Amino acid sequence: MRQVRNHIDLVLFLAVLALMVMSLGVVYSASSTYSMVKWNESGRLLERHLIKVGAGIVAIFIFMQIDYRVYRKLTKPALIVAIVLLLVTLALGGELKGASRWLRFGGFGFQPSEFAKYALLFHLCVLITDKKKRIEDFTTGFLPMLIWIVPVTALVLAQPNFSNGAMIFTMSIVLLFIGRAKLLHIAGTLGACVPVLGLVMLMAPYRMQRILSYLGGSGAAGKIHYQLDQAIIGFGNGGVFGLGLGGSRQRELFLPESYGDFVFSIVGEEWGLIGALLTMFVFLLIMLRGLKIAKHAPDDLGRILAFAITTSITLYALVNAGVTLGILPTTGLPMPFVSYGGSSIFFTSIAVGVLLNISMQTDLYPRLAGTPDSIRPIEPVRAAAAGRVS
Amino acid sequence: MIGRQNSIPVQDQPASSFRESRARTLIVKVGLLLFFVVVALRLVQIQVIDAAKYREKAERQYESRVDLPALRGKIVDRNQRQLVTNMMFVSFAADPKIIGDRASELAERFAQVFDKPKSQYLEKINLETRRFVYLERRVSPQYEKRINAASFEGLVVKDEPRRLYPYDHVAGQLLGFTDVDNKGLSGIELQLDTLLRGRNGYVIMQRDAIGRRRPSVDYPRIEPINGNTAELTIDIEYQAIAEEELRKGVERNKAESGLAIMLDPATGEVLAMANYPSINPGDPASAGPAAARNRVVTDMFEPGSTFKLVTAAAALERHLVQPDQKFNAEQGEYVVRLPNGKVRNKITDTHKYNVLTFREAIEFSSNIVMAKVSDIVGAEALYTTARNFGFGTECGIELPGEIRGELKKPTQWSGTTLNAMAYGYEVGVTPLQIATAYAAVANGGVLMKPFIVRQIVSPEGEVLHVTRPEVVRRVVSQATAHTLTQFLRGVVERGTGTLAAMKGIPLAGKTGTARKFADGRYIEGSYIASFVGFFPADNPAVVCLVMLDNPNDHSYVGGLVSAPIFKAIAEKVYAVSPRFARTQAVAGNAAVVPDVVTVKLDAAKELLVAQGFEVTTEGNGTVVMHQSPAAGTKERRGTTVTLSTASAPAAVKGYTDVPDLRGLPIRRAVNRLSLQHLDAAVSGSGIVASQFPAPGELVKTGTRIALRCEPRALTMVTLY
Repeated sequence: MRQVRNHIDLVLFLAVLALMVMSLGVVYSASSTYSMVKWNESGRLLERHLIKVGAGIVAIFIFMQIDYRVYRKLTKPALIVAIVLLLVTLALGGELKGASRWLRFGGFGFQPSEFAKYALLFHLCVLITDKKKRIEDFTTGFLPMLIWIVPVTALVLAQPNFSNGAMIFTMSIVLLFIGRAKLLHIAGTLGACVPVLGLVMLMAPYRMQRILSYLGGSGAAGKIHYQLDQAIIGFGNGGVFGLGLGGSRQRELFLPESYGDFVFSIVGEEWGLIGALLTMFVFLLIMLRGLKIAKHAPDDLGRILAFAITTSITLYALVNAGVTLGILPTTGLPMPFVSYGGSSIFFTSIAVGVLLNISMQTDLYPRLAGTPDSIRPIEPVRAAAAGRVS
Repeated sequence: MIGRQNSIPVQDQPASSFRESRARTLIVKVGLLLFFVVVALRLVQIQVIDAAKYREKAERQYESRVDLPALRGKIVDRNQRQLVTNMMFVSFAADPKIIGDRASELAERFAQVFDKPKSQYLEKINLETRRFVYLERRVSPQYEKRINAASFEGLVVKDEPRRLYPYDHVAGQLLGFTDVDNKGLSGIELQLDTLLRGRNGYVIMQRDAIGRRRPSVDYPRIEPINGNTAELTIDIEYQAIAEEELRKGVERNKAESGLAIMLDPATGEVLAMANYPSINPGDPASAGPAAARNRVVTDMFEPGSTFKLVTAAAALERHLVQPDQKFNAEQGEYVVRLPNGKVRNKITDTHKYNVLTFREAIEFSSNIVMAKVSDIVGAEALYTTARNFGFGTECGIELPGEIRGELKKPTQWSGTTLNAMAYGYEVGVTPLQIATAYAAVANGGVLMKPFIVRQIVSPEGEVLHVTRPEVVRRVVSQATAHTLTQFLRGVVERGTGTLAAMKGIPLAGKTGTARKFADGRYIEGSYIASFVGFFPADNPAVVCLVMLDNPNDHSYVGGLVSAPIFKAIAEKVYAVSPRFARTQAVAGNAAVVPDVVTVKLDAAKELLVAQGFEVTTEGNGTVVMHQSPAAGTKERRGTTVTLSTASAPAAVKGYTDVPDLRGLPIRRAVNRLSLQHLDAAVSGSGIVASQFPAPGELVKTGTRIALRCEPRALTMVTLY
């Protein structure tokens, strides 16, 4: 029982590595004075970030080696653990700016929602693969999946973490769509969301403000507007060529916590249009490579898993950029690999590890002839081999 | 070896669902690609197309300008007494962002020092979206120490000078007041605002990485330029006397308001200009907006009998009526009939007389006789004389809001206008016009332009502008002026103005009582009572007008109401002022020698003779090149002024003194320079505002003198 091992998708790996390396520079620039003021040590936040990036790279290398098929049996228990963790977080989660999103183990804090997101997506992939055509049936195909999606989304929303909840839900719907769920079912689900969404809005006025702020409203939304305005000023101030590494002037008092969700603005300010476009290009590259891996994945699970991971990373990057640029309502999503934030980097790295493992099992990057594990990626051979085994 | 493969998907599924899967993947892919495009376009929009806009926004918030306030110029009286000066105050402002978690401590400190609730300050400091909030404005500088401002990063202390009026309400309307930003709003403060204001300096502060403000090294510190000092012709002692007597007079007579003016007839200098009720410019809000008006120049009245001076002047100047010519005074009631015998109108006198001479008609203020005189004088002559006295035109004094009154042309007159105007109706005048007209008589018939700004002095002490006394025109001959003065002395000696008579000081004056005209009709029982005159009558030093609006107690007649106030003012002024000792040293009438250099000889002679000077000439040129005594000196009338048409004698050959050209029109200034073989380099237009080299300096002939010119209006003379 050995998996087929070709080369990993090196381009994908290097793209992720490039984002990580870039994030070191940007996060340092964006956080140094904050660190200086807070701890009298400019590199404090960078150190933390460095540890997480390091952990992320280690995670990539570990998960790259694990055959993605093993998750088939693991996703359900993992998802149950995730739900329990979410419940625990909700019960005793540390307060972070009005939201209980964190669990702390000793010195480490971690966001169960990041874990839950991938647990849910992976499990949906397994379910879709298993159900195949049955997904078109509502009670036996569609509903069982909704039964997982709804509680996870609801728990994340309840944290309250509207943005991540919405993203988890969106990603789930995208997976159902790709998994060939009936459009009628999807539409019905979305329709049912409208009153729920309204309720959630009413429960937390700040969300309403964000939306109003996005729609150009004024009043209490002023503070949120302010942050967004400052982010855009940062981009504009950077111009085409940027102010150079460490040159951001927006980062301090004008753009609070710029090393977090608004880090893209610092990229735009310090690296200019060139840097910002380059960053988006790297994400585009990740998407294209990821979709290619999905296309060539050896089985349904690999295909849908690769697709889920790729889409998730790309969508997070795009939504984050869209928010920072004022195209989308303000949310609290990190930019994958670039933003400061441990949980996101760690779990996204795991996902990339899984993706690379899938890439290893495609016929895209064959090992050189003569190496022991190489196979000729010729369809008849694979088919024949499969035939023999079964 | 091949790993575990539970299924071989491609073969597992029907082709149709496979295609559908591909299609759905493609939809998601295309959606994401579109999203990429949108983000890229937005990036280009912000970072390329609109970049300049955002960059400017950014600059604005990184750099802030801190004004270094200029001290507004002082206003002093003719004796350098400070009428308006400055006091330093401080304002406290906070940058909430930088104060940060010390907000509570800061609020606590302020609450202690200013004895106000802490919450009030805390509320302000917690305005997170603002970067600058005032905590206290314009408080005593001593608070800066008590707050220990230096110990709070993010607490800004701003110096804020504020106007101080040491004489409180005295000359309130005249001086005017300023707004919170020290900008002139009324009176001299408004009129001379650009001169007094100075220019604020500033430093550009940059925020460093953690938002502290530091002076930027990229921009120099621009020091403030303090405002200039304005020296007025006002004598604050005269002013205070006038206001005090006015107050008493208004109260005694239960009048609505009152005003008084004093002028130096020889120069046109305004010595005092008082309005009651008064206003304290330090606290203008405490008085109504009406009280802020300087009614001496802003309001129009029908003058009543004081205007008889004009009728008399017109008659005497044209030798149409002799002083002792007798008139039928009609027993106090004169019915004017139209040619067809119908009654046109009725003219009445307060006192009934049978026969009055012309002189007596002035002394006893007979409307009937003046109406008859006007019939002799005729419309054209009366109008021209009134016009020449300055009625119907602005005096051009340096005060805001001056009106020109209303003097209709004869073609616009109705059948009654000629007679009515003869005793001061159907004509609108400002109190200042009345006073300057009487000053012309006091000045031997020459009308001087009234002015109130003597000079403007820079903070460094350089004199930037000097107002020279300006002859407007000769209105009547010296003989006529003399006769009129005799008439006016008679008024005080035996006529309606006896209550103004002073012991030992000859006084010439005229009473006036006019029905008050408002909203198009005369108000029953409402009068304007005035007295105008000058003293000493034989050598006039002060012309004074007192006017009460609607006196309501025992009398409303000028001779009974205003004359005593005039007397009180005149006596006190006479007592306090050393200037009378000076002027009396110059025996006989005195006048200021006009500046006639570069004027044609004939015109110069005429001007000097009009002022009562004798003239001798030297040389055989046609243009005056040198005069002695110099322009601006006050000389007894009859003094001989020597006019030389030869070039001014150069002290050293090839060298010459630079003449003082400031205040002269360009052409005259250039002519003057050419007389001394000097060149001119003119910049600007209007009158010469400054020159280089300075007046009096010895330069080589042919030197180019730089003249900076400014438009004529005084307020436009900017001085840096």
